[in-house]
Amino acid sequence: MADYTNYTIQEMQAVTIARQIKNGQVVTVGTGLPLIGASLAKRVYAPGCNLVVESGLMDCAPIEVPRSVGDNRLMRHCSTQWPNVRFIGFETNEWLNGNDRLVAFIGGAQIDPYGNLNSTCIGDYNNPKTRFTGSGGANGIATYTNTIIMMQHEKRRFMKKIDYVTSPGWMDGPGGREKKGLPGNRGPIMVVTDLGVMKFDEETKRMYLSGYYPNSSIEEIVEKTGFDIDVSRAELLKAPEPEVIKMIREEIDPGQAFIKVPK
Amino acid sequence: MINKVYTLKEAVEKFVKNGDQLAMGGFTTNRKPYALVSEILRQGQTDFIGQPGPGGGDWDMLIGEGRVKAYINCYTANSGVTNVSRRFRNAIEQGKMLFEDYSQDVSMLMLHASSLGLPYLPVRLMMGTDLVDKWGISKEVRKTIDKLPDEKFSYVENPFNPGETVVAVPVPRLDLALIHAQKASPDGTVTIEGNEFHDVDIAIAAKRVIVTCEELISNEEIRKDPESVSIPSMCVDAVVHVPFGAHPSQCYNYYDYDNPFMKEYDVASKTDEAFEGFVNKWVYKYEDHESYIEELGANRLINLRVIPGLGYSHFKEGVK
Repeated sequence: MADYTNYTIQEMQAVTIARQIKNGQVVTVGTGLPLIGASLAKRVYAPGCNLVVESGLMDCAPIEVPRSVGDNRLMRHCSTQWPNVRFIGFETNEWLNGNDRLVAFIGGAQIDPYGNLNSTCIGDYNNPKTRFTGSGGANGIATYTNTIIMMQHEKRRFMKKIDYVTSPGWMDGPGGREKKGLPGNRGPIMVVTDLGVMKFDEETKRMYLSGYYPNSSIEEIVEKTGFDIDVSRAELLKAPEPEVIKMIREEIDPGQAFIKVPK
Repeated sequence: MINKVYTLKEAVEKFVKNGDQLAMGGFTTNRKPYALVSEILRQGQTDFIGQPGPGGGDWDMLIGEGRVKAYINCYTANSGVTNVSRRFRNAIEQGKMLFEDYSQDVSMLMLHASSLGLPYLPVRLMMGTDLVDKWGISKEVRKTIDKLPDEKFSYVENPFNPGETVVAVPVPRLDLALIHAQKASPDGTVTIEGNEFHDVDIAIAAKRVIVTCEELISNEEIRKDPESVSIPSMCVDAVVHVPFGAHPSQCYNYYDYDNPFMKEYDVASKTDEAFEGFVNKWVYKYEDHESYIEELGANRLINLRVIPGLGYSHFKEGVK
C-alpha cells in the first residue's frame, strides 16, 4: 500500500490554495503549482468553479498537466478558445459590471508588505543583476482581479522595498490603489508560501501571518520574512487529507511534472 | 490565378528585410514559426524591432544571434522547461540589446489596435507600477529609432469622463508578420486550428505576411469550410509548405512540443559557447528545412503526433 500521509510541502501548498476556492468562482490560473491547486479545487473542494487562463482558453478541464497557459493540454480540454484580447476584455468587464467572481493565482520573485509583486528583475531595471520574464498576464490580473499569490518563503524575496513593481498590490496602504487610478475593491487577498499563509489587514492593508503548516513554525516564518510581520492571529493549518494526496499523485500529476513524490 | 507559393528560401529572401518591425504568431511553446526563424538566421537579416507578444525560443534564438535591435517585451519563456529565456536574459543583463517592457495585456492590445488601425490606445493598465514609471528605452534613444515613438506612453484625460487619467500607449506599425498555420492554399487563404492567439491581428496589421503551413491544400478545398478560415488571401504575401514548421513547439491537431529538444536548448542557451554549438548543430548545418527534418528522424516526429481526443502525444524521452 502506498503511503499518502507523507505529504510534501508542495502538496500542502497546492491543497492550501485549493481550499480557498468556492463554487461559482472563476479562477485564473497559471501553470505549475497553481494549476495543481486549481485542478484539485475543481475535483474536490469546489466542483462548481470555472478555470480560465490568460491565453484566452476558457472553462478548462485538463487531463494531463500543461506546461504553459497556451498548451494543447488546455486547448483541447476547454469550452472556448478565445484569442488573448478577449480574456483581457473579460477580466476588465467583470470589474466594470461589478461581478465578484474572479480570483487568480499569480506569483513573483519579490513581494513587499502590501503585496506589490516583482516578476521583472533584481537590481536596477536598466542594468539588472538578474532579469526575469516580465509581466506576462500578471499586471492585468492584479489590476482587475482578487489574487492569491504563490511564493517561496525566503528573506530575500519578502522585502521592505522590492526592486521593481510589476503587479500592483495594495500599493502603499489604505487608499493606495485608488490614488493610482486602480480599482480599490480588488487586490491581493492572500499569500501562500512553502511555510504558511499570509493575509492583508483590512485597515492597514499590511501583510500578517494567518496560518502555518504542521511542518513549519511561526519562528521560522518570522526569521524568513524581511519585514516586521504581525503573528498574533496565526493558526495551525490542517494537514492534507490522504485521499486528496492520492488524487494529486495518481490522477492530477501522475508524471510528477510539478510535484515530486517522496521516495 | 494568383499563386503565392514560395520555397522557404525564396519567401525569406523576398519579404524579410533588415530593420523590419517584426511580429511572430503563436504563444511561448505553441505554434511558433521556428522554420522561418531558422531560415532568417541562415540568410542573415538583422536589426529587427521586435513586437513579440508572449515570446519563446523563437525570439530567444534571434536575440542570441544578435538579430534584434530593440525588443518590446511582455513575457519571454519556454514555459515549463526554461522559465526565463536565457539568451533574452543574457542580452539584457549584459546590456547587449535595447529593450522595453509592457504588460502582456497591453502588448496584445497594442497588436490588436494595430489590426484595427487605431491611432493610439487608451488603457487602464500598468498604472501605479514601474511598467509606466521606468522606461527601458529613453526618449533620447527612441528619437534615433524611426520605428519607435518618442514616448513609451503618455497619461491622458478620458475625454468622456473628465478628471479620469488613463494610460495612452502607441500603436506599432508592423512591417512583417511570420505565422505558422495548419492549412493554407496557394492564393494565401489560411486556416488556423485551435487558438488563433494574436496571429490574425498581425496578419491584418503587417505590410508583409509570410505563412508557413503543415498542409498546402487547394483553393477550392479550403473554401469548402469558410467558417474555419482565419485569414483571407488578401492579407498574405507568401505561402510556404513546411511540415513540422513549428517544431520544437506544438501545433494543434498535428503534434506536441518536443520536450527533449527544448531541454537541449535550455542547457545550450546557458552559455555563449553552448548556444553557438546549438545553432550550428540545428540551424546553420542545414541547407533547408527538409534536411533538418531528416536529421530529426521519422520516429521522433511520429512519436510527437497528437493522439486524437487527447490533443497531445505520449512522447517519452530517450526515443529517437
